[in-house]
Amino acid sequence: MQVTLKILRYNPEKDAQPHYERYTLDAEPTDRILDVLEKIKAYEDGTLTFRRSCAHGVCGSCAMRINGRNRLACKTLLQTLDTSKEITVEPILGLPRVKDLIVDMTTFFDNYKKVMPYFINDEPLPEDGRERLQSPEERERFDDTTKCILCGACTTACPTFWADNSYVGPSAIVNAHRFIFDSRDRAAAERLKILAGESGVFRCRTAFNCTEACPREIQITKAIAEVKRAIITGRLD
Amino acid sequence: MTTKRVEVPQGWEAFAWKWMRYSGVLIFILAWIHVLIQDILVGVYQIDTSYVATRWSGGFWRVYDFLLLFFAFSHGMNGVRQVLADYIHSAGGRRALNWILLILWAIVVVVGTIAIFAFTPPAG
Repeated sequence: MQVTLKILRYNPEKDAQPHYERYTLDAEPTDRILDVLEKIKAYEDGTLTFRRSCAHGVCGSCAMRINGRNRLACKTLLQTLDTSKEITVEPILGLPRVKDLIVDMTTFFDNYKKVMPYFINDEPLPEDGRERLQSPEERERFDDTTKCILCGACTTACPTFWADNSYVGPSAIVNAHRFIFDSRDRAAAERLKILAGESGVFRCRTAFNCTEACPREIQITKAIAEVKRAIITGRLD
Repeated sequence: MTTKRVEVPQGWEAFAWKWMRYSGVLIFILAWIHVLIQDILVGVYQIDTSYVATRWSGGFWRVYDFLLLFFAFSHGMNGVRQVLADYIHSAGGRRALNWILLILWAIVVVVGTIAIFAFTPPAG
């Protein structure tokens, strides 16, 4: 079958403004948007620029807007889209464009670092010097938010983040949630204090864009609500 | 699984968030009763000065209308604050926004409160 991709192109050395270019080529229904982009780059226009790495939905490199929705190009099969019409491919919103489908993720990762997204526990190790154990129920408590791959699809779908990128955004909150509700971690209060601030969790308007955008199907809005509740009640159950 | 508890300092944003929830519940009750009486049972075309005089002859409806004004307007102004804060990024700008909205809120609430409690039915 034939498919037409309408791609938002931008070369900062040549273009004053981004513009759309169309590419029509043969493809299979089981091809993914990433496969089509690779074909365009290999056979039609070698200057087309996009991020990709694992191509299997794990690394989070290829988040982009496909027909107006944030998705991973490597997980979006053509057969799930209406190929009788043009398929629009654009960079994710809310971050500065670098070139074509690549955006500058610095702000995204700066916000991520603000919530201390790493395990903190200065207490002595257990007597056997090995693992800090937890029950399956304690592990289950934060299982959903361990699935984040930091692709940025959620944060760059958030209207609050579009308007003000000092808001930490759903991705940072998801990664804070992962440690706040971990029974082995000891820095929940510090993280909650950061998230209770002006750029924190109360900027969320529960638009649910993040939950719809997440390629890992994390219940992000629920996780954000749980962090809000933890700030208000101090309870980590 | 034991419940872990932590002490989190409740900042201004947490207070404002809780205010929106609590005032929202109150407004839901106050506004619907208000709409039911004024718009459905009485009807807006029947509302004139003599109706207001009758309604405000006792203290109950005056207090009721004051609570509706106080909670609805503070709820609305905090909503405006949150929306505008998305587009005002400097700390000074946000501080100015907060003060402007607070003063505007206070003026309307004070004027409304005076109107509600100082109202005296026209003679005759």
